[in-house]
Amino acid sequence: MKKYLIRRLLQLIPVLFIITFVVFVLVYLAGDPVSLMLPEDASEEDREALREALGLNEPFLYQYFHFLGDLISGDFGTSFRYSQEALPLVLERLPATFELAAASMLVAIVLAIPLGIFSARKRNSFVDLFITGGSVLGKAMPNFWLGIMLILMLAVNYQIFPVSGRGTFVHLVLPAITLGTGVAAEMTRLIRSSMLEILHQDYIRTAKSKGVSDTLVIFKHAFRNSLIPVVTITSLQISHLVSGALITETVFSWPGLGQLLVQAVNGRDMAVVQAAVFVIAILVIVINLITDLVYRLLDPRINYS
Amino acid sequence: MSEAETPLLEVRNLQTHFFTELGVVPSVNGVSFSVKKGETIGIVGESGCGKSVTSLSLLQLISDPGKIVGGEILFNGEDLTRLSNKQMRKIRGNKISMIFQEPLTSLNPVFTIGSQISEAIRLHQNVNKEEAKEKAIVMLKKVGIPRAEKHYYSFPHLLSGGMRQRVMIAIALSCNPQLLIADEPTTALDVTIQAQILLLMKQLSTEYQTSIIIITHDLGLVAEMADRVVVMYAGQIVEQNNVYELFKNPKHPYTKGLLNSIPKIHQLKDQLESIEGNVPIPSQLPAGCKFHPRCAAALEKCRFQDPPLFQAKQGAEVRCWLHQEEVIGV
Repeated sequence: MKKYLIRRLLQLIPVLFIITFVVFVLVYLAGDPVSLMLPEDASEEDREALREALGLNEPFLYQYFHFLGDLISGDFGTSFRYSQEALPLVLERLPATFELAAASMLVAIVLAIPLGIFSARKRNSFVDLFITGGSVLGKAMPNFWLGIMLILMLAVNYQIFPVSGRGTFVHLVLPAITLGTGVAAEMTRLIRSSMLEILHQDYIRTAKSKGVSDTLVIFKHAFRNSLIPVVTITSLQISHLVSGALITETVFSWPGLGQLLVQAVNGRDMAVVQAAVFVIAILVIVINLITDLVYRLLDPRINYS
Repeated sequence: MSEAETPLLEVRNLQTHFFTELGVVPSVNGVSFSVKKGETIGIVGESGCGKSVTSLSLLQLISDPGKIVGGEILFNGEDLTRLSNKQMRKIRGNKISMIFQEPLTSLNPVFTIGSQISEAIRLHQNVNKEEAKEKAIVMLKKVGIPRAEKHYYSFPHLLSGGMRQRVMIAIALSCNPQLLIADEPTTALDVTIQAQILLLMKQLSTEYQTSIIIITHDLGLVAEMADRVVVMYAGQIVEQNNVYELFKNPKHPYTKGLLNSIPKIHQLKDQLESIEGNVPIPSQLPAGCKFHPRCAAALEKCRFQDPPLFQAKQGAEVRCWLHQEEVIGV
């Protein structure tokens, strides 16, 4: 188990190298940040001077290795836009992102588990049809549209919730619902199909033949077995949420990682993009690792040694 | 045991049908038999003849789209088909318990075997966690699991098929049931393990005075274990007799066919005997006697008229026009 953990953590190193390189190339190809940083009427000499000062005239590989050298000492460079260190800029956005991710996940779980189980138990009934149909709708609905509609109805027309920003609990409600419904829709479908499969297993019949009540059969014997595919999809969704729910954060002006990343890409703020992607990569890898450990807890047949 | 004694279980004209999209499938169509206290009966037949559905019907474990549509299941004089789900749960695993064909998949993979035995004990006996654990360990020892205290905490995947079937037996017998239904308990096991499991079932049933219904297609097993044999074909009982007479004087052409298809070591032939044709699909049963398309002795009558159950010689009950002596039931 320890060995497995160490091996997984060592895998981080090559992954991070590749990611930094890919992002570096993409940002390099995206164009010249100087034209965005200076006013439109700036002279060619001014532009040249700025490029020189930022080291943008050096050959590509030189720039990359220079960047790597700094990176090893934890320096992602300075944000062009904010004139601040890039890494702290990214890290200070994390709490907002985590907060939104956790709230959305909570919305999703609270909705999906009862709906999924109920829908599986009442298979092919009207209620099942309704839930399944609703989850298709929830999955198909674009986040930004739902977000805008919620703002329009509950923040503009009825003014129950604030339009945007972060601060109190009420600020969290609309963005969490926006993100949570999509995740809930996917989880509901998965829990339903997973449950249906499990309920036909021989050990469910054994449990019933022992005289276990229907409720216990569902929640004790079937539910835990049905969780493995659910955990897989949940971890993918959490990765998605913490890597910055780009659109939703933008719609709600939520000061998280996603919003920062969108702004940095638009401004070709290379240092910030690099730092953000780097942090996201680490988060995703850690989430996957935790997922593997959760599998082990859920299913004793899984062994990593 | 006197004949007048009320049987432990009496099944009367049981009918279990499956309501599928393609129509109603009468899997069990009027089955009647009884089990006395301490008696072992064997239900034999080919795959799809309705023997497993019969056994699941006894415990009301038929799942959708199946339904018991008629008949009575009298257990200690009480009709199980009239019980509520809650009352039925008090019988399952307690008075009547069941062992299934697939030991590899019949235990829940995410719980320890100990907790799966204790669960049954705690459901039906008024004991606390510790007492249930002690009882479970006693049961594990009884069914011959080595190092029972340690294996109490083992997960099913660590045990072999034979061991898992022993655990299933421990679960089934943990509440000292009056009736044990074993649905092909040894089909998935090696021959040597089969013998061990059967011996174990026999010993424990003698010790606890448990009646057994053993469901199988293995005639050797029936000869070994059963006191009485019920032969099923296409959802009906075609012959019923005590084990000696049934093997010595089979009446129904189907029973004869089954017995003939056992290879005999003294008369080695190039080709094994078999019964021509296949079991009819329950949704497309032939008219008349269900067996007549495969029956070498079929009469003209057999094609149109379904024979009732006749009382024949040597105590046999036979569903065949060739043994038309005394009608005792439909």
